[in-house]
Amino acid sequence: MTEAVIDVRDLVTTLGGNSIHRDLNLSVARGEVVALIGGSGSGKSVLLREIIGLLKPQAGRIELFGQSVLDSTPEQMNLLRQRFGVLFQDGALFSSMNVEDNVATPLFEHTDLPHATCRRLARLKLALAGLPPDAAKKRPSELSGGMRKRVALARALALDPELLFLDEPTSGLDPTSARAFDALIRLLADSLGLTVFLVTHDLDTLFSIIDRIIVLSDGRVLGSGTVAELKTIDDPWLRDYFAARVSKGEPPHGN
Amino acid sequence: MTEARAHFDEALGALVVSGIWHADAASALPKLAGKTVRILDGAGVTQLDTNGAWLLLAAARPQAGDPMPELRGFQPQHLAMFKLVAPHSAATAAEPEPRSEGVLEFTGRGSIAAWGHLVGLLDFVGRLSIELLTLMGNPGRWRWREFGAQVGTVFVGAIPIVVGMLFLLGVVFAYLLGDQAQQYGANIFVVDGLLLAILREVSPIIVAVLVAGRTGAAITAQIGTMKVTEEIDAITTLGLSPLAVLVIPRILALLLALPLLVFIGDIAGMAGGMLVTQQQLDISYFMFMDRVADVLDLKTLLVGLGKAPVFAIFIALIACRMGLSVTRDARSVGAHTTSTVVQSLVAIIILNAIFAIMFVKLGI
Repeated sequence: MTEAVIDVRDLVTTLGGNSIHRDLNLSVARGEVVALIGGSGSGKSVLLREIIGLLKPQAGRIELFGQSVLDSTPEQMNLLRQRFGVLFQDGALFSSMNVEDNVATPLFEHTDLPHATCRRLARLKLALAGLPPDAAKKRPSELSGGMRKRVALARALALDPELLFLDEPTSGLDPTSARAFDALIRLLADSLGLTVFLVTHDLDTLFSIIDRIIVLSDGRVLGSGTVAELKTIDDPWLRDYFAARVSKGEPPHGN
Repeated sequence: MTEARAHFDEALGALVVSGIWHADAASALPKLAGKTVRILDGAGVTQLDTNGAWLLLAAARPQAGDPMPELRGFQPQHLAMFKLVAPHSAATAAEPEPRSEGVLEFTGRGSIAAWGHLVGLLDFVGRLSIELLTLMGNPGRWRWREFGAQVGTVFVGAIPIVVGMLFLLGVVFAYLLGDQAQQYGANIFVVDGLLLAILREVSPIIVAVLVAGRTGAAITAQIGTMKVTEEIDAITTLGLSPLAVLVIPRILALLLALPLLVFIGDIAGMAGGMLVTQQQLDISYFMFMDRVADVLDLKTLLVGLGKAPVFAIFIALIACRMGLSVTRDARSVGAHTTSTVVQSLVAIIILNAIFAIMFVKLGI
């Protein structure tokens, strides 16, 4: 299974006169759980938005499931969008709907199922995302940050996509919720056979559930591999990045 | 790629399915009313996701308590989907369609909400009065800069629309009045009627409605968004009062701006009327002004201008209170902004009626 689900070639992005990506290349194979890391302003989020078709790069080629994102017509793009789910950083839940309808919205729009069935399927997705049944009728504003992320994950999974994009899935969560969310992502990725592409700053996520890490630096891919492989790369930013984990493990000073 | 297919084998009690089972395969399911599915045969299934697995299970056992059918012939990765889905049959049970609200229920809910607004407004006025009293003792804490900025947007920004609207209303009034007066040869009395209508009623009401829609909505949306982004909490945490920083400057700005706008509206309305009377009724500009000087008493002008500050206070109070009572989501900002405009319009109409009765009783 070496078919590339995401394939980015010679990507060039310039935003407001700033060069963001310079001849960036990366690819993700089916079934992989891949994390994209990089310093602030290294263009991680921009890259994610380009891959899912929200932003247009200046040059280059982006393919999802072998289909070009940049050359697709809006109709083709909409069909493509049904094959991947996106979890935005703050969940991006629709505040005018309750949780159940939020998750059912993709089913309302893209299937011929009666609305009652869509809602029942939505509740299945909420249960798979680890939410209690009574959450279904609540409004997003009544939920905690961790629960909102789970609802957003359930919505991303509504159409059973093959590919999942996650933008900082654990940001804003306490460590316990963050680890539980990591475990959930890994569990779903394994049981549903998902390919997962996530942008993160969370070192614990990287150490626990990721198959491969891609490092963005200076508009290019600096390296890719497991944590152990990346540690052999001699780069000041990357050294500091992994050093942060070591100092975190030390006992606090003082009493 | 094979389409989803399904048929029911009566002899075995088996639902035999094949092809790709995704969410959109539901239409391939046969009618199973009353029949028991003992076996689910999936030897021909090529793709199955959680949506497909759930649809098959839901068809095979319509009630959550029904026995699990025997799964036969599925590939291991498809069996895994059933394993994921099966424990959640109770959580995904069918539920009755929500009952839609009757007229009586709607009216009741609306009445309770209206009462709540009234009580909330009183509470807000109370808190605001205390805040004003503390500010009186601390003149240094007045927000003059914010006040100035608000006057800029509330007053200067509204001048073009007020002038345009009242000018055209003056044109319409003079035209309609003139049409009638001409038949009796009472051309010059059009000026009397125009003055009374524009100065006393039209200009104050129209300007108040304009400001309620333009500024009231803006205030609620702005304060409401600040509430959503926790800016109000930040102001409180910095030891400042949101009432002193945000609300009082806005109330004062509206209090100053609305009478001025009404006065500008008066002039614009008269200018519109003057243009029409000159064209239609052969009343020269000089004759028009001469008649204005004769019939206009200060009382008419002051009645109109006097209503403006009262309207202003109500619009500002309603707008600020609704802004501060926004909850933390986008829907709430929209609902509260709508509510501000509706409440302000109702307040303007009721206040105007009270003024009309009061002036008659007082003989003004």
